[in-house]
Amino acid sequence: MKMKLKELKENSIAVVKGLSGDSRFIGRITSIGLTPGCRISVIKNDKNRPILLYSRDTMISINRKECEGIEVEEVMA
Amino acid sequence: MSTTTIALLGQPNSGKSTLFNALTGLHQHVGNWPGKTVEKKEGSFAYKGSTYDVADLPGSYSMSANSDEEVITRDFIASGNADVVCILADSSQLERSLFMLADYAGIDAPCFLVLNMEDVAKEQGKTIDVASLEKKLGIPVMLFSATDTKAYDKFYTTLERALKAKSRIDVSALEEEYEKLEGYNEIKEQIHDNVIPGYTPMWLTVKYLENDKVVSAKLKSELSEDKVATIESLKGDNNGAIATGECKFKWIDELVEGTVKGKKKTIKLGKLDRIYTHRFWGKPAVVLTVVLGLLASFIPALPIMAVASVFDILKNFAGEALNSAGCSPFLIGLLCDVVIQSMSYVTKMLGFVFGVTLVFGLLEEVGVMARISYVFDNTMGKLGLQGKSVMPFLVSFGCTMGGAAGARVIDNWGQKILTIALAWAVPCGAAWATIPMLSTVFFGPAAPVVIIAVLIVMILHMWITAKIFGAKLINKEDRCGMIMELPPYHKPKWGALFRYVFGRTKDTFFRVVKVVLLVCLIFWLLSYGSGATDTSILYKVGTAIEPVTKFFGLPWQLFIAFIAASVGKEGAIGVITALYTGGSYGEGFAQAMSGAARAANLGDILLANVSRPEALAFIFAITFNMPCVVALAATYQEIHSVKWTARIALYYTLVSLALACAAYHIGLIIW
Repeated sequence: MKMKLKELKENSIAVVKGLSGDSRFIGRITSIGLTPGCRISVIKNDKNRPILLYSRDTMISINRKECEGIEVEEVMA
Repeated sequence: MSTTTIALLGQPNSGKSTLFNALTGLHQHVGNWPGKTVEKKEGSFAYKGSTYDVADLPGSYSMSANSDEEVITRDFIASGNADVVCILADSSQLERSLFMLADYAGIDAPCFLVLNMEDVAKEQGKTIDVASLEKKLGIPVMLFSATDTKAYDKFYTTLERALKAKSRIDVSALEEEYEKLEGYNEIKEQIHDNVIPGYTPMWLTVKYLENDKVVSAKLKSELSEDKVATIESLKGDNNGAIATGECKFKWIDELVEGTVKGKKKTIKLGKLDRIYTHRFWGKPAVVLTVVLGLLASFIPALPIMAVASVFDILKNFAGEALNSAGCSPFLIGLLCDVVIQSMSYVTKMLGFVFGVTLVFGLLEEVGVMARISYVFDNTMGKLGLQGKSVMPFLVSFGCTMGGAAGARVIDNWGQKILTIALAWAVPCGAAWATIPMLSTVFFGPAAPVVIIAVLIVMILHMWITAKIFGAKLINKEDRCGMIMELPPYHKPKWGALFRYVFGRTKDTFFRVVKVVLLVCLIFWLLSYGSGATDTSILYKVGTAIEPVTKFFGLPWQLFIAFIAASVGKEGAIGVITALYTGGSYGEGFAQAMSGAARAANLGDILLANVSRPEALAFIFAITFNMPCVVALAATYQEIHSVKWTARIALYYTLVSLALACAAYHIGLIIW
């Protein structure tokens, strides 16, 4: 089931399904390693804080508004 | 003697600054790229009798056209300015950090790859097969730690290898991936070699597919009309960058496959990170970290500041000696009150700069800075700033010059200027020594109300100033929230850190001395001749325009104190005391600045001469006035723009007078 990145709960594992946004956002998000098919795990998802996730060996923090354009699908660990 | 230019390219946290500092040491120059609000860092070093110029390129994450930094970076490389490009990647996160290399591939300039942070990768149990990577890429590759001073021989030999071979990345495997993309081959056919010098048709095709504004515009102007029509029709939807991104990472995966061995890292947050990222405790933890850091910074700062008091002693001694030798008072004043006094200010400032640079540098190197950005991303984002802007603000409660020096950690020039501009609104230690005292004298038990009012005005001031300056300083694309890596914690390398801090302090010294001398000279000339029978320009002007300043709630005595406070807030009280007791205010100022005790009957003097509305006006005037001459100099040192420094100073002077005016008239209504 596809959902938005920020709807994921802490400690869940998901695969990036789609990215949408302006070219700045796409450029930026791919340059940090998030591309479709890439596996992520959510480390922290608190209100009013950027989302903290782990992907490609890297801890990444993403502003909540910027997360809007990231679509994911949860997978079982 | 031949000069070779090396360009450093790497994502944030790839250790680019560490490498740059280690290579160039004290031979650095920071300026701006012509016509751009982007910082230009250059340096040089000598090796085997040749001089090497090093350009620390501002590119952030990729070679796209999403920011001025990135366009400057790729133009610099493509126009052949660099003899060789040194691309950095983080060995501990090779997969992600090789993206820069993948995005670079196809730019026609010699390069080599440096896999930095060997030590961190080792700690994580990773081994990297450099030889195999070198073979796959076709360029020299080396593994090292930029913080390890003994590893640099390896760097130099790799550099020489790359220069000799003029090595370029073997892009065949990458292009195979691109060729699978719809429209790629057809578009590439339309793009001949050297359409835009320095870029290969492959690279241009990929950027065109990515909707790169600069490349698209350039191609449209260089290619024939029918070719433009063809490529326009071939370009699919707007998500080209996602597809090419996938290609790049597929290529990287192949590179890394079999090259990097080691267990997958566990992805639990460490103890420290659990505190920093805590919903509730995160912010207090950051504030505590910065405050403790500042206190710690006083340990190395104090000996330097002690030197400043030697200047104070020297000043008195020289004054007396010259006086008895029959020297003219003008010359004595020039030497003592301008030259030696300036040296005393600058030395005190250097203590601060040294301490703050050391502590902030340490927090950055260790990795705490990224956590601070995370915690304050939302709050500071409202002002158009990065999360780490919170640090200069906190420092400014102690000292604005420390705040200005600390703004160095902000990597975007516009955001740096705005951070400093806002930090000026934070009342500094000298203001905190004055406001409560004046408030208590005039308002007794209501003093806390005044202090709260000051804090509220501070927040409003910062918010409005952010609106006024932010529109010009910060581009829309920099206003986005953070998308950033939180690097693993590193152990600090003290040697490299201290070399960097000493370099910066030395650099600061030479830059600010001029500014401080100039401002002190002007102030001294304006106040020269002050005595019982006052003949100074400042006195004449002050009394002449008193009808105007009175409207702002400032009688001429307070107005002169206000002017003096923009040189140094500590001096304001000395000036007031002198003016109301018929003394020389130049002397009163100098004494107060050197930390002389206040007159015992100060409260009585003030109450007898100043009304409550005037006192309120004065409190707001000096609190939100330009912080002091050294803060001005530190600001200039950080933003290297006379225009912006002057603009901020003028703005603060005017705003503080407006605030004084408002406070005075509100005061008149109340009392």
